[in-house]
Amino acid sequence: MKFQKYILVLFGLLTINACDLSEEPYGFYSEDNFYNTVEDAEAAITYAYDALTFLEYSRTVFLLGDMPSDECNPKADEGADAQDLSNWKVANFSTNRSLVNFFKYAYIAINRTNAILDVIPNSTIEESAKGKYLGEAHFLRAWSYFNLVRNFGKVPLHTSFVGTLDQTSAPLATDLDQVYDLILADCKKAIELLEVNRATGRADKVAAQALAAKVYLHMASSKNHNVPQYNSSRREVNTMYDSAAYFANEVISNQNTYAFDDNLLDIYDVDQPRGPEHIFLMSMDRSGTIEGDYSKISKLFIPYIAGSAIYLDNGNGTFTESHDGWSVFQTKESFYETFDDSDKRGSELLISVVYDKSGEEIATYPGAIPYRFTRKYVDPHYIQDKTSTKPFLIRFSEVAMIYAEAAGPNAKAYEMINFIRNRAGLGDLIPGLSNEDFREAVWNERSWELMYEGNRMYDLRRFNRVNKLIDEAAELTDEQVAFYPLPQIEIDLNQAL
Amino acid sequence: MVNGFPLGDAGELKQINPADIASVEVLKDASASAIYGSRGANGVIIITTKKAKQGETTFGIRQQMTISEFTSELNLWRDPTLLAELHNEGRANGGFEPIFIGEVSPSGIYYPSIEELSSGEWPHNTQWDQIVFRDAPISNNTTFSVASSNERTNFNLSASYFTDKGIQIEDDYSKINTNFSISHRVLDNLKITFSNILTKGKRNANGDLAFWRSPIWPVYDETGDYYLLNSMDFDHPVAITKNRKNESKTLDLLSFLDVEWEVIPSVTINSRLNFKYGTSINDVYQPKRYTQPGEFNNGAAYINNWQGSTVVSETFANYRKVFGKHDFGSTLGYSYQNDESRTSNLGAFDFVNETLNNENLGAGNLELNRVSNGLVASELVSGIFRFNYTYDEKYLMTFTSRADGSSKFGQNNKWAFFPSGALSWKAHEEGFVREMNVFDQLKFRLSYGISGNQGISPYQTLSRYGVSNYFNNGNWITSIGPGIEVGRTGQSGIEVLWGGIPNPDLKWETTAQIDAGVDFSLFDSKLNVTFDYYQKNTDDLLQERILALSSGYDRMWINNGSIINRGIELTVGSDLIQTKDLNLNATLIYFQNRNEVTSLGNPQESGLITDPNTGMQFQYSGNSIEQFRGFPNLLAVGQPVNVFYGYKVDGIIQSLEEGVLTGLDGDLAQPGEFKYVDINGDGSVDENDRTIIGNPNPDFLASLNLALTYKKFDISIFLNGVFGNDVLNTHAFDQPSITPFRWTLDNPTNMYPSLKDGRQVKFSDWWIEDGSFVRIQNLNMGYNFDLPKSMRLRISMNASNLFTFSKFNGYDPEVGTDGRYWGGYPRLRQWTAGLNLTF
Repeated sequence: MKFQKYILVLFGLLTINACDLSEEPYGFYSEDNFYNTVEDAEAAITYAYDALTFLEYSRTVFLLGDMPSDECNPKADEGADAQDLSNWKVANFSTNRSLVNFFKYAYIAINRTNAILDVIPNSTIEESAKGKYLGEAHFLRAWSYFNLVRNFGKVPLHTSFVGTLDQTSAPLATDLDQVYDLILADCKKAIELLEVNRATGRADKVAAQALAAKVYLHMASSKNHNVPQYNSSRREVNTMYDSAAYFANEVISNQNTYAFDDNLLDIYDVDQPRGPEHIFLMSMDRSGTIEGDYSKISKLFIPYIAGSAIYLDNGNGTFTESHDGWSVFQTKESFYETFDDSDKRGSELLISVVYDKSGEEIATYPGAIPYRFTRKYVDPHYIQDKTSTKPFLIRFSEVAMIYAEAAGPNAKAYEMINFIRNRAGLGDLIPGLSNEDFREAVWNERSWELMYEGNRMYDLRRFNRVNKLIDEAAELTDEQVAFYPLPQIEIDLNQAL
Repeated sequence: MVNGFPLGDAGELKQINPADIASVEVLKDASASAIYGSRGANGVIIITTKKAKQGETTFGIRQQMTISEFTSELNLWRDPTLLAELHNEGRANGGFEPIFIGEVSPSGIYYPSIEELSSGEWPHNTQWDQIVFRDAPISNNTTFSVASSNERTNFNLSASYFTDKGIQIEDDYSKINTNFSISHRVLDNLKITFSNILTKGKRNANGDLAFWRSPIWPVYDETGDYYLLNSMDFDHPVAITKNRKNESKTLDLLSFLDVEWEVIPSVTINSRLNFKYGTSINDVYQPKRYTQPGEFNNGAAYINNWQGSTVVSETFANYRKVFGKHDFGSTLGYSYQNDESRTSNLGAFDFVNETLNNENLGAGNLELNRVSNGLVASELVSGIFRFNYTYDEKYLMTFTSRADGSSKFGQNNKWAFFPSGALSWKAHEEGFVREMNVFDQLKFRLSYGISGNQGISPYQTLSRYGVSNYFNNGNWITSIGPGIEVGRTGQSGIEVLWGGIPNPDLKWETTAQIDAGVDFSLFDSKLNVTFDYYQKNTDDLLQERILALSSGYDRMWINNGSIINRGIELTVGSDLIQTKDLNLNATLIYFQNRNEVTSLGNPQESGLITDPNTGMQFQYSGNSIEQFRGFPNLLAVGQPVNVFYGYKVDGIIQSLEEGVLTGLDGDLAQPGEFKYVDINGDGSVDENDRTIIGNPNPDFLASLNLALTYKKFDISIFLNGVFGNDVLNTHAFDQPSITPFRWTLDNPTNMYPSLKDGRQVKFSDWWIEDGSFVRIQNLNMGYNFDLPKSMRLRISMNASNLFTFSKFNGYDPEVGTDGRYWGGYPRLRQWTAGLNLTF
């Protein structure tokens, strides 16, 4: 029987026991081991901002904000998404990938901010540190919903973190006011919680005030111009203009961190993300390893020119180097012609000649350059396709123009507009304009000042002028051009709709 | 299962040298496979490797050489002028400037004009397939083996060397495989078996070359450098082959220890410890020119490591007792399985000097280094009890119950109970059947069983946050939060799919299977028939739910839905001729399966979509297809799995008037467009005019095997057929054999639309084809020589994929269960010559 014992030992060795089948997470974070420290909160809020930098989103800033407008046409062999947007093929919009991705990433940012707003108030982080992160989360949620509402109108409202299957569907807002109530409440909360604290890629109190001004102006002018759905808003047009003016004035008068940049070209100097104008910037850097960390925005605007380095004349004897691009956003000559001859934003920011290293002309428009291209997105330190070019999300000059449009023709409004005009090489605006004419003048000024900053489409929309000024949309009704349709996939899969 | 070891998917058989296989057995019904639990839910293939005969030492040498070729011509553009003309036509019809006009395009590509092409001024007509594909690549497999045994000890040793040249240039694979197996009877009642299979492999992966590259582009420019369209041209097959590095080295170990102890004559205990271990190192260098990662990062070098292990420990105690006509048996068992897989990936970028490729990652720009790592582990535990009873060798009964626990499910759903049972009656043992003198064998079988499926990735019950980098005020910082990348989609996979939302309620998917069958033999066992009817009810289907965009996620695993599969399987085997010198055997198999989605849960909770015309409720299945901007496959209540859903097309529109009358408007109503049918008759064609337009599930499958031996010569042929399935051919228009027949004013065909760039194509039945085919899968011939001193020699010749009969317009209609055909290149026909010597 001695062998029997050894045999039993042998079986014991061969039989591995395990009764605990619980799963041990390996290498990933979750709410169980996160949101405990200030560093965690910092990581959480930057993860929310990071949603904006994905190429599915960062490129759509321009594909939605500029491509369908009167500024430009897409490259002839650009994909169908951009062609359809430019040609206003509304029948195809519900499956347009650019629209789908813009919609999707707005909600990804919203979910990430909702997680912070749900968890941080009860976390162990010291109270004094919480306000900053909550404030930024309120800002970013407002920013995301504002982008949704001005593109899609009534959208599903998620106001808390989605963590279970039941929570993945949310009903549509009953009207635009419901969406705007949320946005404005978030803006005000952000203004209350945040301090003035400039950091590239982050929002502070001034950004929140600027956003509030932007939102109010969008609502006021839309209702004023009888844009569908806005025309039934319960808010009064003039009250909204007043609010827009109030928040814009907070930015232009009651802080001294941000200001006008005196020099037009310096605004767009990629090496000066902390220039005085930049209230809110999308943050990307050429040292990143994946697109989204670095940016290829430059490639969208710059034309293909022999696949080599090009040099742009800075007008002071120096040149700025750049790679050439993919020729995606091709400026319409009719848009260029709206610039005054002495307007530097037409003559200096839209390029028609490029040089080689020694300063010899290598291409001109018309000629080897297929269209006048913007130099707002140029990075002289580019690494192959990688650049630090960033979409400008809120600039001081825009807030100044918001003030002017909202407040109407008062002295300060004139001062703001004239500064911008003078910087661009233009003379003062005609004094003594009527309220309507003044707003019209500001609206035009915006088209020049904010060209290729993801803005023009929304200006056309809030003045109800899409089908009046864009030939491709001439046949469409006001309702068809006021909003893009919700993505078909959202309608199919959101059972709360 | 190889010698009792659960290898996993059948595809994992790479570790087994075919020359070592002694027998293969297939278990299908739920009771038979119950002992293997969830791993055997879809059937079990049992492979036993060879053992030596007692008292003999045999040596074997086996040599196989395989030559491959395409089964059909490649369907590629051979006429550059026509290609360019059609391209220009498509652009003009789409409202774009023609591109082949002899100018540099906005993307920086010089497109020669039609005149240049037709006059021969642009002389190039490159046959890229001739460059990319090898003429007749050869693979070689050589095996040496020795086996011996005596009363107590039995051993088997074999080694093989396999080299495989892929169909694309420099796409090569080689492996060395050794197999050592020994069993020894330590005591009269105690036997220990140990076996060890070691496989060392090496792959130079180059199988993704652009054989479809346009013939307009030459291989080299005037200076002898590679001709690149522009700096963004990452498809040049020769440039990539010569400059990119992509090598993998693998080492796999399969080790097996088995102890069998006969405690007393009626009780045996059998314990096994199985260990599978694998590693691979993948070396990649993407050069600064010619490749996208290289171009963007100024050279990109990677080292990717993987290590995986599986441990299976099983102990079974068996009891068997015969009392007169009663034969009792029972088994009590325990099984534990642990899988673990680890990865680490190193990336370095921006190289000053490329000559070292990825040999020194430190030579890259240190600021850009990228590392990542991961580990996934799961456990599976089972307790098994089986009871067998046989009366008089006529009535057989088996009952099995098992409890399975999987770590992958929610805290309260880890364990499930899976009972099964089977009855059979050997009627031919009954006197009255014997007296009939008809049946040599007659057996009735009935079985029922429940099995479980846990085939999902681990950690789906846990919330998983993602990690990213954010350039925060001038510095990179780590950012963390909800949402983790779980996949990619879109063109070149640039769009991220987000997951990480937990489902703590995940549980086993269960299948209850009933199987009734009869086996009989007639005419001195010359005719053998097996017939089975089965029904499988699968509930709590594990599926990846596609979530609404506004949820902030794309995908989530859930249990939802029920599917019924029912079908018959008939096997008729016959020894048609049986003489001393000549034997002919035929086996015909007919298999028919019908499946139906019977439930997808509560329509509200599940977010089902309702078809407005029929009220049918459905959800999308699988990924969307870019070309159609939508999801072609559905899971729909009352329908087979993965049916196609889309528009119907009734020819091509010949005039604008006809288009408008059809209910179309705008671009869609133009001549040369698809004439979509207004199914609901509301006067306009929109998404409410979609319906079920096809079924990727076949009506039936059939195969025929004929085997003939004449003296020492043998020949066999195997035909395999699939009938009545629909295939979505994504290349139904876009191929050189079809595009030239497009609609034009001069060719007002009803078959094909006009060429038009930017057309938004709706998914319709126009893209669906009959996928039926019959294939001569295998033809095998051999001759056995009897040599002196008990030496035996066999030479053989085998052809696989010899010929396919099909009306399908692509290369090969055999596609996945979603019925989607993506193109690629034709299937390979392989000729193998073999020589097998034993002594």
